[in-house]
Amino acid sequence: MRSGQNPSKSGIPAYTPQQLGIALLVYIPFNEGYFKNSLDILKFQIESLYKNTKSKFDLLVFDNGSCIEVIQALSELRDDGYIEWLVLSKNNLGKVGAWNWIFGSLPNELICYADSDVLFREGWLEDSLAILDAFPNSGMVSAQPTFHDVLDGNGTAHLDLKDDQNYEFGKYRPEYEIVEEYCLGIGADDELSSRFFDMELPYITNLTSSTNAVIGATHMQFIIPKHVARDVIPLPVSKGLHRAETTTLDQKIDELGYLHLSTKKNHVMHMGNVITEELVSEVNSFNGEMDKDPGPAVMVLSKKSTLFRMVSKLIKIPTLNQFFLRVYDFLYRALYADIQ
Amino acid sequence: MRVGQNPAKSIKQVVQPKKVTVATITYIPHMKGYYSESLEVLQACLSSLWGNTSVDFDLFVFDNDSCSEVKEFLLDAEEKGLIQYLLLSDKNIGKGGAWNIIFQGAPGEIIAYADSDVIYSPGWLEHSIEILNTYPDVGMVTGRPLRSPEEFYSKTLEWAQSQDDISVEYGNFIQWEIFREHVLSLGITEEQALEWFDSKGEWRVTYQGVPALISAAHFQFVTKKNIIQEFLPFNMDRPMGQVRTLDEMINQAGYLRLTTCDPYVRHIGNKIDGIHDIAQRRERPNQKAGFRLLEIPLIKRSLLGIYDFIFKLYYEK
Repeated sequence: MRSGQNPSKSGIPAYTPQQLGIALLVYIPFNEGYFKNSLDILKFQIESLYKNTKSKFDLLVFDNGSCIEVIQALSELRDDGYIEWLVLSKNNLGKVGAWNWIFGSLPNELICYADSDVLFREGWLEDSLAILDAFPNSGMVSAQPTFHDVLDGNGTAHLDLKDDQNYEFGKYRPEYEIVEEYCLGIGADDELSSRFFDMELPYITNLTSSTNAVIGATHMQFIIPKHVARDVIPLPVSKGLHRAETTTLDQKIDELGYLHLSTKKNHVMHMGNVITEELVSEVNSFNGEMDKDPGPAVMVLSKKSTLFRMVSKLIKIPTLNQFFLRVYDFLYRALYADIQ
Repeated sequence: MRVGQNPAKSIKQVVQPKKVTVATITYIPHMKGYYSESLEVLQACLSSLWGNTSVDFDLFVFDNDSCSEVKEFLLDAEEKGLIQYLLLSDKNIGKGGAWNIIFQGAPGEIIAYADSDVIYSPGWLEHSIEILNTYPDVGMVTGRPLRSPEEFYSKTLEWAQSQDDISVEYGNFIQWEIFREHVLSLGITEEQALEWFDSKGEWRVTYQGVPALISAAHFQFVTKKNIIQEFLPFNMDRPMGQVRTLDEMINQAGYLRLTTCDPYVRHIGNKIDGIHDIAQRRERPNQKAGFRLLEIPLIKRSLLGIYDFIFKLYYEK
């Protein structure tokens, strides 16, 4: 039976999600071999997110059936307040299965997806948002120039802008360091690397705002507006990580007329599964603390009285915490004694 | 940099979600006062679900920022494979916010939602699904006969009365003990329950040989994902107290709201003894003087204010 009034009904406000939700997909089934460094790399990623994202965000981590050590580490990060929503899936639903879940359920207006081995650099969000602003029909925006067109040149959504005088198309050759980093990130051999070094990437410019964007986006990391994410699901899923299945995301986005775009700068980096000296050096160069409260407030919270703020601080002292809980328990028993 | 091939690329087949996702929300911020028995209630709830469900299902638990004892219990159950999807939220995003995530994210075609203070009996899911699959355009099926306000079922009644091939009857189709068990679990007095019971009856329908009562409740219901998604997102800015809008919306949209004719689920509230016996509310014998002071409205209001104040401290800490 119910005894007393549920305190949750007393009119306190629920948490209001931030505009940006970041979702990381984790699958580290064991800590050996290919996955030996994966947990440390994931920690680098979360550190880079907090140090280099200058707006508030909600972080969702979707664990796709990792080993117990990883789940414990994620639980600790959640307990420390770095992960807003930790989803533990007992079974590996595959990357696309997790996308179905993430795209369907994240409540934020902008959803940033990233694999669990992506390093975020300063400016990644600002440049991505600039593209989303300049190209209202953006479906996926990656913070790294895209070298590999998953649609194999068959994408058509951007063609609608060819006749629009507000936009200009062109090609450019990315800086050497950007190509080199990309090749290292994916473990490209010499032959593949030379193709990327010779490659010119197509880009589009919004002439009104002078915003450039490379045409194409990468599955490794992208921002997708919530309304687009909701439009593309459910995606077919049967395998763990299969190109034919992940590509259906791009096909659907393109068919719906939304653009695949990316930044010209490499604001994110694929760390892969190896910790190099350069990587450690870069992570160490990030300034500041892991700020859980980095940007302007969007949270809706009731105005608190001075007394409330003072007592809120007091209950953080363990002895007083126990005292207030005892008072609370006593009051509950006294007020609702007749129905216990 | 990447060295080697990601082994995930060699996974030929992933586990396909079950057709039914059973979902629940937990919120037990501490183990005192109102919540002093809530963990035991939750354990009883999930035990009855695991023990009394014979249809294949995935269990999705949305924890809306409970205390560490509750999280440990849930993590342990997840580790044992008893929970397929466990979402641990760092903040309470309200029941509506959790519903938004559950009804969008739950992978099953059929979603069986219940608050986490419900006990399931054998057959609960089969009987609800039978109604869901027999009647057209069903929005909610609750696994227990109960009454709800007419504004929550008016469209179902209109539909039933407009059909030739459906039997519609009005009468007392809920036994007193079954009615009483539920309303007392909501904290209603015996006298009030009796008064309500005598005040009116229920509508029973039979379609294609499957009987059901016209009514439903948001504390436990089975629905189809594609139908419930039509009502998303729910704009609920408080943790609780706004969920009746779902009942109104489903009725207004013309989807049927039905219950099973027999009780397969039971609301137990926040007291574990409710599982064994819904205690009758009696006057307290030998009231102490201190407790009698609580009869004075000013004192009671003041103490309730302090009680709520302390809860908010823990809620927002």
